[in-house]
Amino acid sequence: MDETQSSKEGSEVKGLYCGPIDFTDPMGRRLLKGITISFTPPTLCVITGPSGSGKTSLLKAISGLNKARVSERRLGNIAYPDKRLPEWRSKVTLLLQDAPCIEGTIRDNLAFPFSFKNALGKEFSEKKALVLLKRVRLDHFDLDHPVNGLSGGERHRLSLVRGLLWAPPVLLADEPLSGLEPELAQVCYELLYEFSRKRPAVVICVLHQERFARQADTVLRLKDGTLH
Amino acid sequence: MGHYIELSAFDLFLAVGLIVIASVISVSLRLGLTRSLVVAASRCMLQLGAIGIVLKKIFQINSPILVMGWLAIMLVMAAREAVRRSKSKYRGINMDALSTMTFTSLVVGLLVTQVVIKVRPWYDPQYVIPIFGMIFGNSLNGICLCLDRFLEYLRSRKQEVELRLCFGATRQEAVIEGARQAVRTGMIPIINNMTVAGIVSLPGMMTGQIVAGASPVQAVAYQIVIMFMIAASNALGAMLLATLAARRLISNYGIELNEK
Repeated sequence: MDETQSSKEGSEVKGLYCGPIDFTDPMGRRLLKGITISFTPPTLCVITGPSGSGKTSLLKAISGLNKARVSERRLGNIAYPDKRLPEWRSKVTLLLQDAPCIEGTIRDNLAFPFSFKNALGKEFSEKKALVLLKRVRLDHFDLDHPVNGLSGGERHRLSLVRGLLWAPPVLLADEPLSGLEPELAQVCYELLYEFSRKRPAVVICVLHQERFARQADTVLRLKDGTLH
Repeated sequence: MGHYIELSAFDLFLAVGLIVIASVISVSLRLGLTRSLVVAASRCMLQLGAIGIVLKKIFQINSPILVMGWLAIMLVMAAREAVRRSKSKYRGINMDALSTMTFTSLVVGLLVTQVVIKVRPWYDPQYVIPIFGMIFGNSLNGICLCLDRFLEYLRSRKQEVELRLCFGATRQEAVIEGARQAVRTGMIPIINNMTVAGIVSLPGMMTGQIVAGASPVQAVAYQIVIMFMIAASNALGAMLLATLAARRLISNYGIELNEK
């Protein structure tokens, strides 16, 4: 990572503030009850909780991808109302649980965000991509390799690399380590930790592997609609 | 205009013999189509007969208001048919189809009748009605194909769209690939038609003009205008509809198919 650039952006963007968040799912269950999220970088926060407790809904609500009621979204002192959601998401980026890919090659999959208007001139670096792909052991694939044959675990690692290359000030990751063998999961978790320190960034991870929680700055448990 | 052979009622009666041939085949091969065939043939006769009478009146009266009124009726029918034919529907589809067809046919139709052909008076039904009719009929087709493709894309690639949104894509950026595919699909028929025009098929309008006694060169000239006109209206219609549909189906929160 380019240190000068990251420190410059880092001073520009202070903390993440999002809330209070209320969310009732389509079945009428009230999953999130007035949760407020507030962190300053560098932070690695791990969120755990029983399945079905609304962890995914919480991340999607922060990112603005569901119809949760969110009173305020703020980065530093800049507020992002609903009409600025695309801009918000380019800074508060969610790695989806199923690690979907777009049709095309590995390069297409890593580079597409840089073509968006909200990329604001950020450029895709093939060199950084190759370094990260090596770290997560996807370097046996060529960048021109089509993604449609990738396994679940490979897609998760690709999704992580995409997020780290994009390097937003806030990265939300929904079970980024699922489907990975313990050793690889450790590597990926360390990458997330490193990213939070170097950029510096706020990284919020939903994880069910409790053992990783020990290395996090903050561990929160989502239960009965609130964070503990 | 040159001469052409007028058809009498008896000639039409003879033509019924052709439907009888088709019916006999249907019965003997047990296609189970006899009923539909007879119904379709009757509808065809009644509808065209009625149109013949109406058009004759409109041509006689030759009033701009009447011509516009008739075009409006054709437009609404075409938009309804476009919606009826597409496999999937969403809330607001009628409005989208109608506004797309209105805009497209106005732009392309006025260009062709007023700028290219220079119809005088501007509402001359002899030109205005068939030309707008062809625009309606063809953009209807294009719109249907485009709509089906686009909704199919949104349904099957929901996650891809969501992924793009996650990285800060605007709504347009998130579905541009689907819109591209849909517009492409909507334009394939006219591209195919232009490619084989004159070789495999003699297009309908050109054939009609030749039978009516126009010089083949003039008939060809008209047909070229018509083909380009259809290409333009298909492209414009498909693009516009994909844009409108995207506005309704992609909210700030992602895809909401709202299917009916």
